[in-house]
Amino acid sequence: MATRGTRKIRPPRRGLNNGEMDFEQTWAILASAFTQIHEKQASKLSYEELYRNAYKIVLKKKGDELYLRVAEFERDWLGSEIQRRIHKELPPQLMNALQGRSSAGSAGDNQVRKQGERFLRQLKLAWEDHQTCMSMLTDVLMYMDRVYCTDTRRPSIFTTAMSLFRDCILRSHVRGDDSWPDICGTLNHVILDQIRMERDGDFIDKHLIKVNVYMLEGLYDSHHEVEEEKLYLTSFEYEFLASSAEFYRALGDRLLKESDAGQYCRETRNRIDEENDRCRSTLSESTTPKIQKVVEDELIRYRMKDLIESESGVRFMITNERHDDLALVFDLEARVDPRKPELTKALQKIILEMGTNLNDAAQVGAAAEVPEDKAKAPADRLVNQQTVAALKWVEDVLELKDKFDAIWKQSFQSDQTIHTAIMRSTAEFINSHPRCAEYMSLFIDDNMKKGIKGKTELEIEVLLDKAIVLLRYVQEKDVFELYYKKHLGKRLLMGRSLSIDVEKQMISRMKMELGNNFTAKLEGMFKDMTLSEELTAGYKGYVARLGDADPRRIDLAINVLTSMTWPVETTNSAPDDARESRLKTIYPPAVERIRQGFENYYKEKYSGRMLDWKGNMGTADVKVTFPKVPSKDGFKERRHELNVSTYAMLILLLFNDLPSGASLSLEEIQARTNIPTNELVRNLQSLAVAPKTRILLKEPMSKDIKDTDKFFFNEGFMSKFLKVKIGIVSAGNRIENDRERVETEKKNNDSRGYAIEAAVVRIMKQRKELSHQQLVTETITQLNSQFKPDVNMIKKRIESLIEREYLERIEDSPSSSYRYLA
Amino acid sequence: MRDVKAGSSEYITLVSNDGFEFKIQRSSACISGMIKRMLDPNGGFSESTTNVCKFSEINGIVLEKVCEYFYYNEKHKDSRDVPDMDFPPELCLELLMAADFLDT
Repeated sequence: MATRGTRKIRPPRRGLNNGEMDFEQTWAILASAFTQIHEKQASKLSYEELYRNAYKIVLKKKGDELYLRVAEFERDWLGSEIQRRIHKELPPQLMNALQGRSSAGSAGDNQVRKQGERFLRQLKLAWEDHQTCMSMLTDVLMYMDRVYCTDTRRPSIFTTAMSLFRDCILRSHVRGDDSWPDICGTLNHVILDQIRMERDGDFIDKHLIKVNVYMLEGLYDSHHEVEEEKLYLTSFEYEFLASSAEFYRALGDRLLKESDAGQYCRETRNRIDEENDRCRSTLSESTTPKIQKVVEDELIRYRMKDLIESESGVRFMITNERHDDLALVFDLEARVDPRKPELTKALQKIILEMGTNLNDAAQVGAAAEVPEDKAKAPADRLVNQQTVAALKWVEDVLELKDKFDAIWKQSFQSDQTIHTAIMRSTAEFINSHPRCAEYMSLFIDDNMKKGIKGKTELEIEVLLDKAIVLLRYVQEKDVFELYYKKHLGKRLLMGRSLSIDVEKQMISRMKMELGNNFTAKLEGMFKDMTLSEELTAGYKGYVARLGDADPRRIDLAINVLTSMTWPVETTNSAPDDARESRLKTIYPPAVERIRQGFENYYKEKYSGRMLDWKGNMGTADVKVTFPKVPSKDGFKERRHELNVSTYAMLILLLFNDLPSGASLSLEEIQARTNIPTNELVRNLQSLAVAPKTRILLKEPMSKDIKDTDKFFFNEGFMSKFLKVKIGIVSAGNRIENDRERVETEKKNNDSRGYAIEAAVVRIMKQRKELSHQQLVTETITQLNSQFKPDVNMIKKRIESLIEREYLERIEDSPSSSYRYLA
Repeated sequence: MRDVKAGSSEYITLVSNDGFEFKIQRSSACISGMIKRMLDPNGGFSESTTNVCKFSEINGIVLEKVCEYFYYNEKHKDSRDVPDMDFPPELCLELLMAADFLDT
């Protein structure tokens, strides 16, 4: 209160502290009041009176004495009355049970439990009473706290009283027997015991425990009230965590032995939730992270490996599509380690194994009938079988990938780490299959020819996506390109593709995925096709304008192919035919005229270009009239339209000029047409051996074609259809045989060589000088999108570039280095 | 300030040693830490049930001034630049002691 003015201040008329004060007398008043408070009969007491008495004592500088007396009073009260009440609740039976000194049966267990609860209740009561009484005492002694305790820096009387509770109650021993733990230790045991019961499925009085825990949280180990010295932390929590660890270790052992992994995960999850709840409802929230760690350590971290590898582990879940269980495993491992090493490892292993199985199966399927059927079955069938195996492989791979994608989405929350792991393993096993690039191309080929029939746009979309996804995994993109070009070429030329639109979509997808470089040649092929159509139409117009309207003219459809963009083997047959193919195929005059006509037309249009006619790749529609034979509606000439290869057409035309019944030998046919031997044999096979399209008869009748065989026109040819397609044996796209493969590989190596040289030169041109190591690394990085270059190959290419004086070695450098020579 | 228990009256009575009674708003009186505790229903002392506080050491004049201060304090609780309250200098010492006693 502020005062103002300068007038004289009078002494108080009657001081508050006047009159003598007898300490003992005043204390006696207070003490009896305190007893009443402890006995809960405070409502009769006048606060003002008590406060005034305490105030007076302090005012008379007897605060010190008062403080000690109050403490003394409390110690007496707690030490006698309260201690007695609590110790009464601790019969030896309970103490023994808690120490594990007696084997408690279930009946005994129940009794121990009851006793434990009684003890907890009593302790709770004592604690609550103590708190109420002490807060009342503090109210009364407010003046002492405010003046005396602050001046002398003593802890408030409340704090002192709380430590007294700790010392007199919690630290006391039952019946003064030191061999038993003190009340505090007993309390821990009782609580832990109760928690154990709850973990085993019993119901316990959570509130009761909570209050006791709250007490421990409110008390400190010493009179410095620092956070770390809470009795809860120093006395209870440690034991709780230790006993929990023990419990969960045992539980983990048991679960691993007794239940399957899915159940284990569910149980673990429940346990974690349960412990969370327990901390919230029974113990202290501050323990939540600690007990979580204990459970996670015991049930997850130390067990994950065993769990994942157990019989009913991840492998089992994947095979049996247990997505929920997998999600649990993921969830659990994610708890202890965001990188999820065990799960990733296991997944990778499983994918690799499954992938390797697929690879093996494909190889077995491909090689299955080689030994026994080698002699009997035609090589073609074997190859077809291999093709089927190849297609199956791709489909299996796709299925596997879909499976893991589904798992990844459903169970692993689309986790990035897992995704990378799955990708890596998938790529690994795909690339470990030596023919993966060829198989993939075959797969696309098969779909382009048959697969997309009757499918909606959406389905096709999905299919294309799948193909692209697989392609992403393939490391040797250049090999894939080679095969794809080859397969695409055949599809285009033979008109086997179901939809050019889809083909083009595919290409544009590849372009997005792999870049312009990759698809340039493929697009060139399409361009050739369009140009050719224009050429054919243009030529038709040209012929019409010449006025040479001959009704017997042969229609010509032409495909002009740029030799660089088209795969070489479609334009060039096997090397041992090189000599023969140099001989010009002899066309019969009717055909030759048209050929010349077109060549003239083409040269007029583009000067300086060479046209090379590829009889092995064309087809022709031939109208054939077979002589009358008897049939049910009388004698009739039978006309059939035969769709044959260009070479087959040439062969058939030879028989035009032949009298009925005359024959030609293979040698004669060859002499008159100049068709390369292997092509000739193949065409004759389909004309004379294949049972449904036997236009020619052969003598002797056998499957193989020999030089001396004679061929007759089959006048008795019968077919239900007007149009007959005579396929060339093994014209479709199929898996390569070994010789073809060797060749493809060689070709591939060559083109890789060029790619490497180009890359090396590009790099050196930019860098001028570079060490060997750096050059190799950069080359590999540059080419990685196309294929994985072999270091030895790079070395050889560098050597060769040095020989050709593109580069030179830098003589006096410590590590081998090169310089670019402009 | 602790919430007053529902049902307990809004006004309380302060009684001086010479018999003057002051009815005063509970919230204002509880500015004094001592009165607040005295009336705290959780404490359970007799004053908390009767809502009458007898002060055997404070006379009517001083208690009146004390009450005046309670209201003055309550009124200006949240404002600044408060005009000083006027205290007769002859009461100063007694008021000081009362303030100390009441923990105001």
